[in-house]
Amino acid sequence: MAENAKKKKTSWWAPAQRHLMTATGYMIPFVVAGGIIFALSVMISGQPSAPTTGWLGKLNSIGAAGLALFIPALGGYLAFSMADRPGLAPGFITAYLAVQIHAGFLGGILGGILAGYAVNLLKKIKLPANFRTLSSIFIYPLGGTLIAGGLMVFVLGGPIAEIMKALTNFLNGLHGAAKAPLGVLLGAMVGVDMGGPINKVAYTFAQTQVNTLPFLMGGVGAAGATPPIGLGIATLIFRNKFSSEERDAGIAALVMGTMGITEGAIPFATADPIRVIPANTIGAAVACLSGFMFGCLNHAPWGGLIVLPVVDHRLGYIAAVAMGAIVVAVIVGVTKKKYVAEDHTENSDDDDDIDFDVQNF
Amino acid sequence: MKIVGVTSCPSGVAHTYMAAEALQKAGKDKGIEVHIETQGASGADDTLTKDQISAADFVVLTNDTSIRGTDRFKGKKVVQMSATKIIEKADALMNKLEKMA
Repeated sequence: MAENAKKKKTSWWAPAQRHLMTATGYMIPFVVAGGIIFALSVMISGQPSAPTTGWLGKLNSIGAAGLALFIPALGGYLAFSMADRPGLAPGFITAYLAVQIHAGFLGGILGGILAGYAVNLLKKIKLPANFRTLSSIFIYPLGGTLIAGGLMVFVLGGPIAEIMKALTNFLNGLHGAAKAPLGVLLGAMVGVDMGGPINKVAYTFAQTQVNTLPFLMGGVGAAGATPPIGLGIATLIFRNKFSSEERDAGIAALVMGTMGITEGAIPFATADPIRVIPANTIGAAVACLSGFMFGCLNHAPWGGLIVLPVVDHRLGYIAAVAMGAIVVAVIVGVTKKKYVAEDHTENSDDDDDIDFDVQNF
Repeated sequence: MKIVGVTSCPSGVAHTYMAAEALQKAGKDKGIEVHIETQGASGADDTLTKDQISAADFVVLTNDTSIRGTDRFKGKKVVQMSATKIIEKADALMNKLEKMA
């Protein structure tokens, strides 16, 4: 009974989360390619604004193309995850429309959901077998795009654009201490699951607003680097508290943190979640808060130290990463017990405490 | 007993491969034949063959993100759970599946 009740409660949220995660996974390469090439062209030009002429202008246009596509990709793959292949085109088109009418990431996500939903509805229309190709070639792309795109352009786009404008104005209007709660919240979200769903929500929130609100990535980008760098430092300082595998992983984590890959912290968190996850959460919150306080602006939708060329107030950004990392390292170092090699196979074999359902596909 | 599985996770760099490794290790310890396809950020690796799938008693899938090509498992007994849970409890999962087979 209890199991059933629990299932009912999560029945819409679990798939919604899965679709969002799938979409973010497909979106990230667009962000990385676009963001880093964009950042590179700005760095080489030495000017504070994006270059428009010469070969640097052309390089910049490559990066800009990646950045122009990432919200459409988010919406497209959201619909793809919901409705499989027929969802992709309507989702891309609707999310592209959302960007055009300044409905931002909210519009992109909603556009993807609309398209996926529309195509799933159209799939319910049962045609005779010899007309089935008609569905995949005409009805799904045409109907799905008209329904979702139409809703976006005629009905929802305007109000969402207004919401986005209000949100942007509100966030832009935050000064000094007023940014603190947002900084702590976003930073903690980035640290708590190290590249998992909660991290992605915070990251996507900041990434999709990098053009209008670069201070968000200034904090979030620093926070994302913090857990792996902090744990890497911890393995160097507190050597006797880690196994030799963990010490090796520590070096890899340092590199990943520098590149802005929060996932580098995962091996440590799975080995010792009770100590490592709180340390990461607090450290990332400190880094994000510091980034906000130091007024760091990060113009690339990516984190780590690799984005330094396009960061305003670089020293502040480095300080934010360093402070967060030290917090992580100290908390882990102080709370962790001395490492004692143990026989893993023995206790894990007796652990039969697992619940799952077997479905017939 | 034979088991096939597909693992995947949102960013496709860590949990995907850790879950696959956990299943393979647990299978090796118990002498169960395990084949795992990973759908990570660099695409699908060790793609399951038709023979592997048809010979399998159970299919294990992660449910953190959408798995591509689930239609391959029509008519199979399928277990879905999060990659994290698989990493933690791969041994327990194998034990229980062995009792069910």
